[in-house]
Amino acid sequence: MGEKTPFDEMYNPDGSVREPYRALSEWLAEQPDKALALMQTDAEAIFRRLGITFAVYGSDEGTEKVIPFDVIPRIIAANEWRRLSKGIEQRVKALNAFLYDIYHRQEILKAGRVPEKLILNNEAFCPQMMGLEPAKGVYAHIIGVDIVRVGPDEFYVLEDNLRTPSGVSYMLEDREAMMLLAPDLFHRSKVAPVETYPENLRRTLESVAPDSVRGTPNIAVLTPGIYNSAYFEHSFLADQMGAQLCEGPDLFVDGGKVYMRTTTGPEQVDVIYRRIDDDYLDPLTFRPDSMLGVPGLFDAYRAGNVTLVNAPGTGIADDKAVYTYVPDIIEFYLGEKALLQNVPTYNCTDDDQRAWVLENIHDLVVKEVHGSGGYGMMVGPTATKAMHAEFRKKIEARPDNYIVQPTLNLSTCPTHISGDVAPRHVDLRPYVLVGDEVRITPGGLTRVALKKGSLVVNSSQGGGTKDTWVLED
Amino acid sequence: MRIEIDHSLTCSLPPGTAQLVMHLLLTPGSGPTQSVDSWSVEVAGIGNAGRFRDGFGNAAHLVNQSRPEGDLAIGVRGVVTTQDTNGVLGKPAGEPVAALYRRVTPLTKAPVTLYGKYRTTKESRLDVLHGLMARVGETLGLPAEPAPEAQMQATGEQVQSQKAEAAPELPPAADFVHLYIGAARALDIPARFVCGYLAPDDEIEGGLHAWAEAYDDGLGWIGFDPRYQLCPTERYVRLAVGLDAESALPLRTVPVGEVTQKARVTAA
Repeated sequence: MGEKTPFDEMYNPDGSVREPYRALSEWLAEQPDKALALMQTDAEAIFRRLGITFAVYGSDEGTEKVIPFDVIPRIIAANEWRRLSKGIEQRVKALNAFLYDIYHRQEILKAGRVPEKLILNNEAFCPQMMGLEPAKGVYAHIIGVDIVRVGPDEFYVLEDNLRTPSGVSYMLEDREAMMLLAPDLFHRSKVAPVETYPENLRRTLESVAPDSVRGTPNIAVLTPGIYNSAYFEHSFLADQMGAQLCEGPDLFVDGGKVYMRTTTGPEQVDVIYRRIDDDYLDPLTFRPDSMLGVPGLFDAYRAGNVTLVNAPGTGIADDKAVYTYVPDIIEFYLGEKALLQNVPTYNCTDDDQRAWVLENIHDLVVKEVHGSGGYGMMVGPTATKAMHAEFRKKIEARPDNYIVQPTLNLSTCPTHISGDVAPRHVDLRPYVLVGDEVRITPGGLTRVALKKGSLVVNSSQGGGTKDTWVLED
Repeated sequence: MRIEIDHSLTCSLPPGTAQLVMHLLLTPGSGPTQSVDSWSVEVAGIGNAGRFRDGFGNAAHLVNQSRPEGDLAIGVRGVVTTQDTNGVLGKPAGEPVAALYRRVTPLTKAPVTLYGKYRTTKESRLDVLHGLMARVGETLGLPAEPAPEAQMQATGEQVQSQKAEAAPELPPAADFVHLYIGAARALDIPARFVCGYLAPDDEIEGGLHAWAEAYDDGLGWIGFDPRYQLCPTERYVRLAVGLDAESALPLRTVPVGEVTQKARVTAA
């Protein structure tokens, strides 16, 4: 990690093409001048038509933007994917076991493997969840694991998103666009399908319906509304699954059960895929000022009359301070070594580590413990001296509020940059569904930093996306 | 001791309330210190309420009313037989792990001056817990006591003025409990808020009350009432427990209204 040239996913150091990229390389060579630029224009039109937009908080220019899409797919070999998906499956199983334990007997805390205070005094820990038996024992049903690659066999997990990970609609739309834009390339390669995701999501949700449900469970997607940055995705997923899209006021509790108002009268809801944060879910139990949630929803959940997906309180397992313990968590519950590595993380509350961090901040990445989406973070090598000074102050003031990691030299993929092809840094967010079984969609969302040399892939910070192809044997 | 309880709650609602949803912790459980002989909660909608155990092991009801007319009124009645265990509740089944109650909440923070001296003490946990109870009393005020005779003889005037202030209004019991819990948790001792009823005697008025329970690895949960400076006796009836007053609140509603409540508690 560090100063070396980044790992190029397409070319070997000697300039030869890596095997998974062979078909792509041939196809690129065949393309006439300006073909990529034309494809890029077409892609823009497709995305405008599909209406895929996202909101950037704190930006003045319009609320909605089209997320930049790169027309060159990222390619992952079958054997690479097998390794990755095994590691991901191990991780999500262990994290769900951890959540069960934390909200029951807390054996891992008694054993001293994870510090008790880190969990019990954590804002993300939800005491109201104690003792609850979720259907199939699953807390986090929908997970997005952020992974970066730094070498041919070196993958690191950056973070586990167990609250309400977004972006899966981009994965699906990127594939749809790619098949329209380059059908010939698509047919030359055996690409694992991603379009089964909505069906698998539906199956997963149905499998965790309360035991009392007879027949097909009634599923609703609960959105905070049109002003949420991921509203498009909420309506897209509801539509794809054939589920109802609801806002808080569309739902109500009666007799301990949850109902949806419909034109033909109230309809009981069995499973709610909620895209509202814990705090806003139910003003009776959580923030009383929430206008987004459903009063009594949590109690109906506790009474076993509805399933909330993901369960409240899952955030304790993807807390950045808990992240450093995930390898221990895997060993504790599964008795196995972690297959995927964590990024080494410095603990700023330790005096020696903090001193070292403050001195080397220009080489390091600083993240807010409770931040997400690239907000409140600093990438040392590309940040200004003023920013280094600012973050030094921040860390000194509240060392427990930050985690610090080395700057990872993210792998690069060929990317279309104004008519040319150039390497750009990428990461990967595979989407995992956990219900009666673990279902991992091959590939996931590849985010690409479009600025030369940039390592920040977040769409809110000038990142784009790519279609991700997992090749089948 | 056989204790009869008649607890009434009213809640004023904003005019035009279309849907009222309430969370009730108004059903005591039987355990080592008490057995519930009869109990009823009367409120419109209780018939088809959602019934469940909350995260702290309390029996809870989720009740809703459509277009409630006037103020919400709830009537709770019952008979509980208690026994004196010197405040020891022990380790009843069906409760969350005691460690949960080391979580510090915004309401349960205590100044280090209150508990600091126990940080390095060699005293037993039980002694520490009694010591904390005394310290909370010294901090917030002790129950009125007849002045000792020796003092009376000292300077008549001073004693008189002290007597005139002998029964200043003490803060509500919940303040004592929060301070006590905060101090215990700061010492890594699990401690929780108990909401319940207190049967009157010659000196104590009785009614709704709050006290604390702290955990000893050997004895389990032990009650401490820092407001009256004693461990719960057979006059205490446990209703609900939680991390603090907010999480053990007998009645929560959406929309929020002003709750007034009164409990008539009689020892038979």
